[in-house]
Amino acid sequence: MNALEYADVSFTYPATDTEPSPSPVLEHVSLAVPEGAFALITGSTGSGKSTLLRLAKPEVAPTGTLGGNVLAFGRDVRTLSSVESAQTVGLVFQSPDSQIVCDTVWHEMAFGLENLGTPVPEMRRRVAETCMFFGMEPWFRRQTANLSGGQRQMLALAATLAMRPRLLLLDEPTSMLDPVAEKDFLAMLFRANRELGVTVVVATHAPEPMRDVATCAFRVEDGHVRELSLGEAVDACAFRPDGVVSASEGVAASGSKPALSFRDTWFRYSRDADWVLRGLDLEVPEGEVTALVGGNGSGKTTLLQLACGTLAAQRGRVSRPHAASQAYLLQSPRAILSAQTVREELLLWSNGAGYGEAEVAEMMERLGLEGVAARNPLDLSGGQQQLVAFAKVLLTRPDLLVLDEPTKGLDAVACTKLARLVQELREEGRSVLLATHDLAFVSAVADSVSLLFDGGVTCTERPDEFLAGSWLYHA
Amino acid sequence: MLTMRDTHTAFDTCHPSVPATYFAAIILIAIFAMQPVCVCVSLAGGLAFSFAARGWRRTLGGLRWQLPVVALVAVANPLFSASGSTLAAQLGSVAIYQESIAYGACAGVLLVATILWFEDAACVLTQDRLLQLGARALPTVTLVTSMAAQLVPQLMRRSQTVRTATLASTAAAPEGSRERGIRVADQLMSWSMEDSIERSDAMRARGWGAMDRRSCYLQDPFRTSDALALLGIALLAAASALLVYVACSQWHFYPTMPRLVAWWGYLPYAALTLLPTVLDLAQRVRWGRLS
Repeated sequence: MNALEYADVSFTYPATDTEPSPSPVLEHVSLAVPEGAFALITGSTGSGKSTLLRLAKPEVAPTGTLGGNVLAFGRDVRTLSSVESAQTVGLVFQSPDSQIVCDTVWHEMAFGLENLGTPVPEMRRRVAETCMFFGMEPWFRRQTANLSGGQRQMLALAATLAMRPRLLLLDEPTSMLDPVAEKDFLAMLFRANRELGVTVVVATHAPEPMRDVATCAFRVEDGHVRELSLGEAVDACAFRPDGVVSASEGVAASGSKPALSFRDTWFRYSRDADWVLRGLDLEVPEGEVTALVGGNGSGKTTLLQLACGTLAAQRGRVSRPHAASQAYLLQSPRAILSAQTVREELLLWSNGAGYGEAEVAEMMERLGLEGVAARNPLDLSGGQQQLVAFAKVLLTRPDLLVLDEPTKGLDAVACTKLARLVQELREEGRSVLLATHDLAFVSAVADSVSLLFDGGVTCTERPDEFLAGSWLYHA
Repeated sequence: MLTMRDTHTAFDTCHPSVPATYFAAIILIAIFAMQPVCVCVSLAGGLAFSFAARGWRRTLGGLRWQLPVVALVAVANPLFSASGSTLAAQLGSVAIYQESIAYGACAGVLLVATILWFEDAACVLTQDRLLQLGARALPTVTLVTSMAAQLVPQLMRRSQTVRTATLASTAAAPEGSRERGIRVADQLMSWSMEDSIERSDAMRARGWGAMDRRSCYLQDPFRTSDALALLGIALLAAASALLVYVACSQWHFYPTMPRLVAWWGYLPYAALTLLPTVLDLAQRVRWGRLS
């Protein structure tokens, strides 16, 4: 039997003032996911993957006109009662922050079962078994607020599986995670699929890490869905920096004063805490793109904040000649998005930075944001929010641009656009410092890579040298 | 208030109703026992347990402002209430009486002792144990409390992030601190609203509202030993309350104060106030780390 089946499904969002006659997001979609499969639904950001997935869960399905039938284990999902729906179809969302409901891990695990009025002995048994399966005993009594992003996402998965759904849908579950946490999460998802027999359907724009575990793949494009081989699906989503001039080919201004320099920098967050940076030395050459790589908690974000002057080192010297013209893009784009529409958002800093409507229009066109100009930035997908935030800091034409994980949540097309824009900045002689896990992006844009480890810079090399000599990193 | 149990101290292995009853009784008695010996006993007990359970650093940190409060109330009272018979000093037209100073000092100590007992209670009755008390009767209230408890730290962290974002980009630097505050609040608001939409989706996806009556994961492990402990505490508290009442009714500040005498009747109250400290110390002795 098919765990999930779409039979001639079409979907159109309701008309709005800005879009009086919207075109359908999905047109005559038919696909079938067999029971026990690990299916990938790929496609670029905003292609309708989420819509497709949510249609299988009427409680969270978007409003609009739906034609055709969505069947879970042979039954139309709209005929399932909410208890049946919760016990048949589980849904895990993208953001590790906003899908956690309760304050403690045990309460979060029990939340869904409490909702269904599960008798206490049965509930305690399910929670216990799920925790054992996930190896979560050590943090069972911890506060959810103190968990890392990877742990929170794992908790969201565990809490959904505690309800024992037979079909599990995941909407970009790892796009907010770093590669290490992503691997852990996928390993667990794979075990749930093979050992517990849960059918898994993942919507993603970056299927590469799932290539070895997935059993089938679909691609959403222009409202249509087709099945394709795993290799094709991965290739269609791969980041190919065509047209981006490789950084190492250009000539960088050398010998001039660095755009930023750290000398014997020591930093810790409180007197009793461990040192995050221990006598770190780093120079960011003027007019170059410098990339920082390193593990989780290696101090990349701390270093960026010292570079921006929002943190102050306890010892050592940080010289910031561009303090009067700098911009910083945080990991969470929501931290700088506040206007009602994308256009207003991008115009928000125009007075301070001296740009106007024309520049905003051009930037939106270059990043492919014209289509969403009138929409609220917070309604956009994570990747699109990242692009809007990037456009916002880029419009200020800063002499020093500091980026924290700029490609997180972006699909290949957006990554390429981002790479081009970073290259342009460099050609204008501006300096860029970025921290990332994405080595493909680094080798496309950076002049040099510095590896951060144990509170210091372990080595600084050109990206091609760095990759050639690396045991761990691949582009 | 929002922290998990980070100290292993008295009543750790009891049902939460035991410490809840204990602290309710002790705070009630402490508030009404306006008599020098009783307030001193209460202060000594509260301080001792604070040292044992909350550590000397936090206790001394609290005393830094609590001792001046005692002094302030002791000095302020005679200035506002000129009662008593033994003249201590004459400031212009204001007469200051010894009884009035004693009353003020006594009230100050009572206030500080009560605050200490509340802090001690918060240390033992952590949020998860309080939830366990109310969970069966009020499952929805319990859930809302639980949600709020995770949202507050998240909001604090985010306000830091938003502040960093606006400070780090020079083009964003707002003109004044008031404007910056508004912008940060605005940003936080829209961020939280957006989150709440996704959170409500996540809740509905997990069957929120599917049943009229939610069940509750927490069990109610109320055992015979808990009942016995409750009974013991109730008896001791009742005896203390009665004897404290007797002591208070024989005491008066105005016009003159009677002489204080040694009396066996203070002993049950002293035992009650020192109970958690003794339990805590016994645990430490058992684990061989008296320090």
